Amino acid sequence: MIYTSFTNLDLSKTGTGKFIGVGNYIEIFQDPLARSSIGFTVMLVLIAVPTEMLLGLGLSYLIRGLSGEKIMRSLLLIPMMVPAAVGGFGWKMLYNFMFGPINYFLSFFGIQPITWFGKANYAQSAILIIDIWQWTPFVFLIMYAALQALPRDIIDAGKVDGANGWKLFLHIELPLLKPILYVTLLLRVIDVLKTFDIIYMTTYGGPGSATSTWSFYAYKVGVSYGWNIGYGSALSVILLIVSILLVNTLMKLLNIGKELGLSKAEG
Amino acid sequence: MKKKITYVIRYIVAVSSLIIFLFPIYWIFITAFKPEPEWFSMPPIFWPSKFTLSNFLGTGSSTFGTTTTSIAGILPFLRNSIVIATITSLVSTFIAAFAAYSISRTKIGGTKLAGWFISMRLLPPIASAIPLYVIFSKIKLLNTWLALILPYLVPATALSIWLLISFFNEIPQEIEEAAYIDGASRVKSFIYVVLPLSAPGLAAAAILAFIQSWGEFLLALILTNNASAQTLPVYLGRYITGWRVAWGPLSAAGLVTMLPVIIFALIFQRYLIRGLTLGAVK
Repeated sequence: MIYTSFTNLDLSKTGTGKFIGVGNYIEIFQDPLARSSIGFTVMLVLIAVPTEMLLGLGLSYLIRGLSGEKIMRSLLLIPMMVPAAVGGFGWKMLYNFMFGPINYFLSFFGIQPITWFGKANYAQSAILIIDIWQWTPFVFLIMYAALQALPRDIIDAGKVDGANGWKLFLHIELPLLKPILYVTLLLRVIDVLKTFDIIYMTTYGGPGSATSTWSFYAYKVGVSYGWNIGYGSALSVILLIVSILLVNTLMKLLNIGKELGLSKAEG
Repeated sequence: MKKKITYVIRYIVAVSSLIIFLFPIYWIFITAFKPEPEWFSMPPIFWPSKFTLSNFLGTGSSTFGTTTTSIAGILPFLRNSIVIATITSLVSTFIAAFAAYSISRTKIGGTKLAGWFISMRLLPPIASAIPLYVIFSKIKLLNTWLALILPYLVPATALSIWLLISFFNEIPQEIEEAAYIDGASRVKSFIYVVLPLSAPGLAAAAILAFIQSWGEFLLALILTNNASAQTLPVYLGRYITGWRVAWGPLSAAGLVTMLPVIIFALIFQRYLIRGLTLGAVK
């Protein structure tokens, strides 16, 4: 793939496949569609991921200690397990302009029906909402489990010292949760960079290319429209490099050596 | 008194967020059972007047191409999904069990090898999809079960190895040493002592691999294009492109697609968390 990314291989044309150096990479920087796709992917990372983190953390605190919390936790697990293709399809029904329940609910508040997938801003927020819907439960689940695993004695000691509510959260629980928060954050960022099926099922990158993501654009130029494999590969290579950098950071955070008990074996 | 009020408020907020999060699922569920006139109606129908199976059987009217989305249309895709996900899950767990055992016990390859395995699960599939397409088209593997099983095996095995290492690490070495004293070989003690003890881990790894291969979309979309190997999610994607989609039958297909995953996930949720967070949360 790295080699093809330096060629002009295009399966729809004959006589292609020649080495063209970094031509594809230069093209990416000049291609407004590539820029907007990468831009929307970054927007997903910057808006959806923090929202998911906050909502997930909030939900885990909210549900903790309520009677029936086990059932609620199990039910909240469902959105993230649903295959993204099915989730995207379900949301497409909800967002429908004429018959969708969302516009119906909004009409109670005097809001005119919204063409969710018709305007760039609406379509982008629609995608953001779907992503938040699907992955907030993921953050919630991790946080819920992490909260349960916090060392009780430290929290009790804090309580004895008079900390409660916000103080307890800010000064004791949050610092304890920090490593796991970082891991969750990175996992989410890595996964958001790959966003594809939701786009395919709902907006197909439209209107125009407002909701096209990095992966989706690479798919579009490389497979679905153009068969311009060279250019699609170049896009994928850059995405791959960004992901590898993030994964490496994650590896350091996860501290694999300790996890596997390797440090003990080496020492 | 104040405590009671906050508790009630918390409860109300919790339940309403649950309703919001589950509503899309509920909507697919009831639409799958709605008779045709109720698919498109304003105001939307929140509880069908009667539950019908015609969306599943394809016996409704054919205005929206019901016949193409009937059960007969789904069956080949359902078969592909089941075959591909099951084989992937079994083979990957089998390979992973041996690999994870050796990493756990002998620390072979050290941190680097284990880290390399886990990075397989995280890299973007689009990066491998295009080269795979070129390779598979050259060796005539497109549109076969193998075309999906092979690429699915890579992340599934990697994730299972990771998951199983953490399970094997928890089994005390002394138990195995006791088996050696009783005359068991390393292989024997692995099969008769370690494997049974880590049965929940093996099950979790298999289920996780199953769920991921079941829901995978991008590779299935690119590497297959007809009923001989295409999976259910892609089938759903094919029929959703029009403006007026046959919602009833598609919801029925969607329900079939998500039901096995949800059931598996609910049964094995405790171990799934460990797998999904790469062992960061036990």
